[in-house]
Amino acid sequence: MGGIMVLLIGCPRQEQGEVAPYDPDQEYTITIGGYGDLERAYSVVVNSAGFKAAFPNITIEFQTSDFNGHHQRLTTIIAAGEETNDIEALEVGFIALFVEGGGLRDLSLSPFNGNEITPQLVPFAVSNATTTEGQLVAMPVDIAPAVFFYREEVVKASGVSIEEIENIRDWNHFIEIGRKLTRDTDGDGEIDQWAIPHASDASLIPLNGGKGGWFDSNNNPLEPAEAFKGSLELVQEIRNAGIDADLGAWSGPWIESFKNGAVAGNMIGAWFGGALKTWIAPEVTDWRVAYLPGKVAASVGGTYLTLPNSSNSQRAAAAWEVIKYLAASPESQLIVFREIDAYPALIEVYEDPVMQEGVDYFGGQQTRLIYADVAQSIPEKTVTPHDSIAASIWGNAVSLVINEETNINEAYDLAKEQILASIE
Amino acid sequence: MLRDGQDIMGSLKSRQRLLPYLFISPFFILFAIFGLYPIGYSVYISFFRWGLTGPSEFMGLRNYGLLFTTDPFFLKSLLNTLILLVTGSLLQHFFAIPLAILLNNQKLKFRHLFRATYFLPFITSTVSIVIIFTQLFDHNFGWINHVLTTLFGIEPIKWFSDPPAIKGALSIMLNWKYIGWNTIIYLAGLQNISPNYYEAARIDGAGTLRQHISITLPLLLPIIFFTITLSIIGGMQIVDEVFVLLGGFEGLGGPQNAGLTTAFYLLYTAFSAGRLGKGAAIAWLLFVVIILMTLINRLVTSRLENR
Amino acid sequence: MNKVLRRQKLTKKYSSRFLIYLILFLFVFIFAFPFYYVFVLSSLDDSEIFTSPPRLFFGTHILENWRILFEQINFGRNFLNSVGIATLSTLFTIFFCTLGGYAFAKYSFKGKKILFTFVLTTLAIPPFLNIIPFFRMMVAFGWYNTWLPLIVPGVANAFGIFLMTQFIGRAVPDEMLEAARIDGFGELGILFRIVFPLAAPGISVLGTITFIGSWNNFLGALILLPKIERTTIPVALSSLRSQSGGGFGAIYIGTALALLPLIIVFLSFSKKIINDFARGSIKG
Repeated sequence: MGGIMVLLIGCPRQEQGEVAPYDPDQEYTITIGGYGDLERAYSVVVNSAGFKAAFPNITIEFQTSDFNGHHQRLTTIIAAGEETNDIEALEVGFIALFVEGGGLRDLSLSPFNGNEITPQLVPFAVSNATTTEGQLVAMPVDIAPAVFFYREEVVKASGVSIEEIENIRDWNHFIEIGRKLTRDTDGDGEIDQWAIPHASDASLIPLNGGKGGWFDSNNNPLEPAEAFKGSLELVQEIRNAGIDADLGAWSGPWIESFKNGAVAGNMIGAWFGGALKTWIAPEVTDWRVAYLPGKVAASVGGTYLTLPNSSNSQRAAAAWEVIKYLAASPESQLIVFREIDAYPALIEVYEDPVMQEGVDYFGGQQTRLIYADVAQSIPEKTVTPHDSIAASIWGNAVSLVINEETNINEAYDLAKEQILASIE
Repeated sequence: MLRDGQDIMGSLKSRQRLLPYLFISPFFILFAIFGLYPIGYSVYISFFRWGLTGPSEFMGLRNYGLLFTTDPFFLKSLLNTLILLVTGSLLQHFFAIPLAILLNNQKLKFRHLFRATYFLPFITSTVSIVIIFTQLFDHNFGWINHVLTTLFGIEPIKWFSDPPAIKGALSIMLNWKYIGWNTIIYLAGLQNISPNYYEAARIDGAGTLRQHISITLPLLLPIIFFTITLSIIGGMQIVDEVFVLLGGFEGLGGPQNAGLTTAFYLLYTAFSAGRLGKGAAIAWLLFVVIILMTLINRLVTSRLENR
Repeated sequence: MNKVLRRQKLTKKYSSRFLIYLILFLFVFIFAFPFYYVFVLSSLDDSEIFTSPPRLFFGTHILENWRILFEQINFGRNFLNSVGIATLSTLFTIFFCTLGGYAFAKYSFKGKKILFTFVLTTLAIPPFLNIIPFFRMMVAFGWYNTWLPLIVPGVANAFGIFLMTQFIGRAVPDEMLEAARIDGFGELGILFRIVFPLAAPGISVLGTITFIGSWNNFLGALILLPKIERTTIPVALSSLRSQSGGGFGAIYIGTALALLPLIIVFLSFSKKIINDFARGSIKG
């Protein structure tokens, strides 16, 4: 028994075998592990004439779970060194987790040569999938440029002009406007309308395009300090100004607040427009889109496709062809955009006539141009191995300054100390 | 006649020697096949800096040592777990025992209804009631705050962001799930207490409360030991409730890590931070604490029994 | 004088009885409400699910949610998988745990105390990390994508043996075993003709708990049964969960449907089960 145990523990993990070249004449069944709506959108893609013409020899199977379930399954299988699905989707926050120790294939190497197609994709998204050593570990398929969704009628009724809300100069200006948007509309002496749902919504936006950028090039966490302290100060000011409704994301009242007028706006990724339109507030007619304060460009969310090291080597090259189609073909990018409002990562698509179209739900506003503009201005930031630890600890620092009125310097020092101790 | 009997007893003895081992062997065989390797594995990796894809450095016992010295969250998580053990897992017995006593009354109407409904929370999985609990605890519109403010004039409590309230919300959820389950077990124990005991006490003029304190509780002690053992083992491993109420791994248990339990920290360390070696070390420390707590429980119980 | 006293006593008696029923029904409400609410949610559409104040009564979207559910997943297939896995693991668990419990409760043998302590100690091992090496083993055994890993390893589990030991200790009188032996029953005859029937109440308790545990097991099924057509209800339902697309009503009707077998089994046997539980429960 002991011998078997040593054997099992000590047995070499599945090495990254030689990747067999893609053979267009061979039949492949490629499995894709994903979460949320991805299966819904990608099945439309693989059933489309374009995909069928390009890959008559490839059948796609899906394994879909909820967000947490998907990532926990993938962590377990990669940790066990066993075979994953041929393609695994990752939310951007999880890339770092799998980068450490090399759980993902480097797509910049042959036969993938991912760098040949990355110039066609939004630069910030590519850099989010690139390690500090220059490995390309994932391909962005959709991105989530952050914008300020606001309700035209509510804003006007609060005495703020559309001109002003569409040109918020900076965060101070935002707080000033926020005070006007926060008021007692029915005169019962209690505030019933706020500017935004929650102060913490603003916590990541000022930090390297929403990606945090938790470690500087010398691996020091939370540097430069002014930027991170500034973010803590901002969320504390928003809370102290009383302009956030203090609604927890995805709670019933949070969702309800987008139709009953309890909030005038929301700072979030572009995909939220799809949720508003389909089920959160389909009957509300005055949702509009503006830039974030000072036109700061950030992204909140985004999907990446990866080839884990322990995926099947015989099919890896074929799986790569599928990824390339999903990420870099205009047809596929537009289908996914239409199906689930996941914003394209492929720059070429931004020139498509569909991007110029007004969106009925937003009163005919050309919202997609705003998304495209934001997407192309988001700063680039590569992933570092301890990002997920830093992000969780930062999340706690934010809730500390918001809820406990903790001193900014104190909260910053504590978070920094905790990050350093945790990555020890 | 006698000789025959002895023969039977004799062959019985030899068979009896082997049979029990045969009967309990499935557990040990399955444990050897399915349990040993995972346990050996997690002991082994706890001595390494072990990431998602394998070891990078031999750490000896340092994974364990660092948890007590430099780790910013482990001791805090242990304290949280112990607090929740009292307010979440042990408090429920103060509800369950009186409820069981009430339900034990044969003349009680609807007792089958009571017993059946009290078991329902145990059936319902935590995950399937997320929406209900987040709505119950919502601090603006939740029903719990609604009741508290209208009936008692208490300021709305921020169940998800005020540190003591986070522990309160978790405790409420745990009590909800397990009070009924414990009630049923206590009820079972009560049904084995002969009414004669109470008769004697009544003649001595003892009131109902006195009767229960001086008769029911001592006689229930073995059952209390059993249920509290299960409460300790389960209560030290609380994860689902934290995950559900505080939104997954995005934060570490809310402001001041108020909801960070050791088991949650273990899962976070392994599956969100990708440090399997350290996670294994946490698991084994947790194991030691659980064993210690059960031993204390054993000790207290036998003290009370011998009183 | 006497009359007044008696009346006071009576009022006191009735008011305390009223209080008792009030408390008991309050707990009925607290324990049953979330359960009821799962069914309410399954009849609402997505925007109705998230309203404040929350909707208390049934809505009109049951059929629509039903349609979405059955359109998106093969509910019947997943349902049968869940039933199959839960039933098989319940049957085998009952058998092996009763065997083990019987041995620990009614035989004296060398090392019994230490072996029993060992069984109990394994209960305290946090199970969270074991999934990784366990998964590797299942792949090595060729059990990946089969029901086996969800059934076999748990059939003689520590909790079940603990429970059955405590139960059989009291439910099966020693004298009866002795009498049966003198009557010439073989040990296996005793096991099947005396121990199992007398342990029936305890068995139904263990069976209920095992069935519920198996039915609600999410992570194991998610990792070990990746093929959607082979997996269980909770995993299939999790594939519906998405924030941007809604579909919450469908998830809740799926959850409600998944609870139904548990409720039906539990309610129709609850009187029996709980009484059995009562009789079968442990006396330390």
